[in-house]
This record gives sequence, structure tokens and C-alpha cells, in this order.
Amino acid sequence: MTSVIEIKDYTWRYLHTESPALNSINLTIEEGSFVGIIGPNGAGKTTLAYSVDGLIPGQYNGIKKGTVKIFGKEVESYKKGELQQVVGVVFSDPEAQFTAMTVEDELVFGMENIGLTIPEIRERLEWVTELTGLSDLLLKPPYEISGGQKQRVALAAVLAMKPKLLILDEPTSMLDPVSRKKIFEVLKILKTEEDNTIVVIEHSLENLVPLADQMILMADSEIILQDRTKDFFKESGLLLEKGVYPPGALHFFHELSNQGLYRGEYPLTVEQGKDLLRQLIQ
Amino acid sequence: MNKTLLGYVPDESPIYAVHPFVKLFFLLIVSLFPMFVTAPDWNIGLMVVIIIFMWISRVNMSTLKIYIPVAISMGTIIFLSYTVMGGTHPEFELLARVAGVNFYWERIRDALVVYFRVLPMIFTMVFFLSTSRERDVIVAMRSIKVPFVVTYVFAMSLRSAGMVLEDFHIVRQAEQARGFDPAGKSLPYKIRQYVMYMIPLFALSLRRSEEFTNALVARGYAFTGEISKVKRADYILTHYSYKYFDYIFIAIIGLAFVALLVFRYGFGYFQVDQSWLIGLLREAVS
Repeated sequence: MTSVIEIKDYTWRYLHTESPALNSINLTIEEGSFVGIIGPNGAGKTTLAYSVDGLIPGQYNGIKKGTVKIFGKEVESYKKGELQQVVGVVFSDPEAQFTAMTVEDELVFGMENIGLTIPEIRERLEWVTELTGLSDLLLKPPYEISGGQKQRVALAAVLAMKPKLLILDEPTSMLDPVSRKKIFEVLKILKTEEDNTIVVIEHSLENLVPLADQMILMADSEIILQDRTKDFFKESGLLLEKGVYPPGALHFFHELSNQGLYRGEYPLTVEQGKDLLRQLIQ
Repeated sequence: MNKTLLGYVPDESPIYAVHPFVKLFFLLIVSLFPMFVTAPDWNIGLMVVIIIFMWISRVNMSTLKIYIPVAISMGTIIFLSYTVMGGTHPEFELLARVAGVNFYWERIRDALVVYFRVLPMIFTMVFFLSTSRERDVIVAMRSIKVPFVVTYVFAMSLRSAGMVLEDFHIVRQAEQARGFDPAGKSLPYKIRQYVMYMIPLFALSLRRSEEFTNALVARGYAFTGEISKVKRADYILTHYSYKYFDYIFIAIIGLAFVALLVFRYGFGYFQVDQSWLIGLLREAVS
């Protein structure tokens, strides 16, 4: 497998700050994987996303040590706009990402930037609006639709550019549970039907955990834990210590395990938990 | 209702049949008309025509009420500039002298002429903004091959104006929630306390600009470098096409402008001394 992200001994400190936002980060993410990044506020998650998308060091001043390679190439060696053709980022505040006055213009903007032709744009527009359920909103101003719809527009605008690597920085932090679910339904389709590499930074684990192949815990500007999802949550004690609450089903079995009532792998979803519990009772 | 830059137009309106460029052309050319017309009668006529266009376009006419204070204050400023601050002119006809201020007939007439030149220009702009969305402006500019960067910066400035107003409301609500409300206080107090709004508003604007820059970079846009030279598909333009009546409208607007110039400079029309309204006023003050 090819490494999409290859970060070695990477430290980043914003100008006029005393401590680094990211400290000695080593991270490799393989092509086609779905990675979840969790951690408390101020852990450096967004800075990591910015570093991968080239916003750091491009748009921010600071001191960098180490290397950040995307598809084998150092971030700084990409030409302007070239990196964004392979890396797409969805930020937490959907309104802050809007660059156009109608949903359709918003979706088309990125595609025009990378030089797609009208038939290509039309084809991708159809695909992405169907995928994200935005077909009826194309002529509306993106500022006048609901929060969930706004975030789907932001996601669709990035997807339309068909980046090989998709990074979502707390994409559901401003959404209600139903809208959250819709976003993760889109991500599920992307995971199963497309060959994107997806990195999701998220606080809400209920939707993320069932999809993630690999999980990363960040705290105090460092990567504290990185493992396959099932193995990752074996360290529930560490997660709780860092203020990360595992999904309900997993937490429940962790407590059972602490009481000596259960030995085995933790379930990741309520469905898996239900089956496990049934087996235990029987 | 469809939101435009300055108000709302119903979902069904004849204005949607017109190509956005025609609206922009109307704005650019018709707003020049008053510059060549000194007789207020003709400029009032132009305002009536624009109001008829607004009515045909089904613009929500009640929104026009907000311009009445603007029109009054603008008229007052012009009148004061030409009379109270107009200086001493022995060569002019003195109508009255009040508290040491001379009121000359010529200065009052000129104030009226200027006022009725500015008003139709504002009316034309209001008509354009009431019937156009940001997208129309972009389409109009792109259809005449204005560089994308110019179009985009223009559209962003339109958008940012709306965002600043939105932020202002947020800041005001936040200040009110903390017990700060200048309602019912004196004007000097309000002005002094406005700093309370301006500082957070400025900070919000800075943050917005940073976020917006990040969004542009993330979408692969750059103002410089090779990526900025990429040929844009202008997909939006595929939704718009010129109809036969668009050409007719463009021709009418263009010909009307040429006719105006011919009548003005060829035959001496539209002069102030030919104005029926000014004549009436002259008789009234004599």
C-alpha cells in the first residue's frame, strides 16, 4: 500500500506562542484507509489538518521542524493550488467555507478552479448532489439553509473536486444528531464505493467508530495513541483519562471488563453490543 | 419571494426573463442620463419610468420607503451647501436675507437641479439592486469577459457587506444579552458607546477574513501563480442565454443614450431654462 500521509518528527510552533501546537509527530496513513482522530480541545488536531492541506506553513507564520509528505512529496514543494487538487478539507464551521452566493456556484467554484470542462462539471455536479441530497437546494443561497444542509454543501463542494485524500475537521460539531447521521451516511458511501482516503477529526464517536479502520488519540500537541479501532478502545482507561468518552456500548463493556464480568473484544456499535450481550446472557 | 441584493422579488417576475447583462447595461447607461440633463422635469420623468419598471418587475415597493429619509437628508445637505454655505454672490438675484444668510435665486435653482440629477441615479441603482442577485452581477460581468478576479472581488465585496451587517446584529444581541442597550439614550451617549460594538465587530471581521482565505486556498483558488491562469469553464453562464428581446432592450437603451446626446448637444434640449418646473418656481418666488 502507498502512504498518503507520511509525517516524520514534525513540530510546528505558531509565531508568538511559547509552546508548539504540534510536537514530534510521527504518522503514516495508508491509501484507502478511514482514520478517526480524537482528542480534547487544543490538542493540535486542527493544526495537523492544516499541515496536511498546506495551509500550514502557507497561510500561517511559525517555526517548522521535520517533514510532512503527501503522496511522497513534501507539502512545501507543491505549487500553489496543486496540493488542494489531491487534498480536500472540510472545516467545522460550514459558513466560514462558503465562497459563492448559491449552492450550485459553491459546488462549481472548486471544479472551475482546477480547470474542469463544462461536461465534466455537469457530470460531477449530478453525482455529488445526488450523493449528498442537495438537488433541491442548488439555487438557494448557502447562508439561508439549515446547519446540516450547510455542512453537506461544504462537504459536497470538496467532494466535487474528487480529492484522493479527504480531511474533515469536526464536520458535525455544529449539527443536530439527525444531520450528523446524514454526514456520516455520506462518508459511509465514500468509504464503501469510492477509493478515497478519509481522515475525520471528531468529538462525537458514535458515528465515527463504526466506520474508522484506525483511530488516533491526540493530547497536549502529541499523538498519544494510534491503533486499529478495535485495539484502540482496549485502552479505555487512557482515553477516559484524556477526557475522551468511548461510545456507549464500548464503555459499557469496558465497565463489565473492569468488574471482571467480561473478557474479550469490545463492541464498536450498539448492534454489536446487543449481540454480545445476548451471547453473554445465553 | 426571491432575495435580491436590496430586497425581495416574487418567485414569478418578468425581470427573470431578462439577461443579467441587460440589467447591468441599464444601470451603467441609464444612470448617466441625468448627467446630460439639467431640466428637473426630465429627470423626474426618468424616475417615474424607473418606478414603473419596478412595478412591472414586482419589486416589493414598500421597501422603497426606507429611502425617503435618505432622499430628505440628501436634499437638505445639497440645499444647505448651495444656500447657507453658498457664499456671497453680488451678481446673483437676492431673494431674501435671513440671519445674515443670503438666499439667491440662482443658488436655489442650482440646488434643485443637482438634487434632481442625483435622485434618478439613485433610483437606477435601487432598481438594479432590487432586481439582481449577486449571481446576476457575476453572470453579467463574466458574459462581457470581465476577468474572473475582478468579478470575484466585486462579488466578495457585496457578500462581505451583508456579512458585516449580520455580524453587527450578532454583536448587538450579545451586548444586549449582557445588559448593554443604548435604546432610549441620548445620541452622544450612543455614539460614545458604539465603540462597544466596533471592537468585537472588527475582531470578527479579522477572523472572517482568515477563514475566508483558508476556504479559498482549500478550494484550490489563488490570485497569483500558475493555478490563477487556469481557463475557467464559467459553468454558470450555461444557465443563461440572450433572447431576441435582450438585444432589443440593449438596442433601445443604447439608442436612447445616443438620442439624448444628439438632442442635448445638437438641438440644445434638456436645458434648465427650458424647464417648466423651474419656470413655475421662478414665478412663485418673484
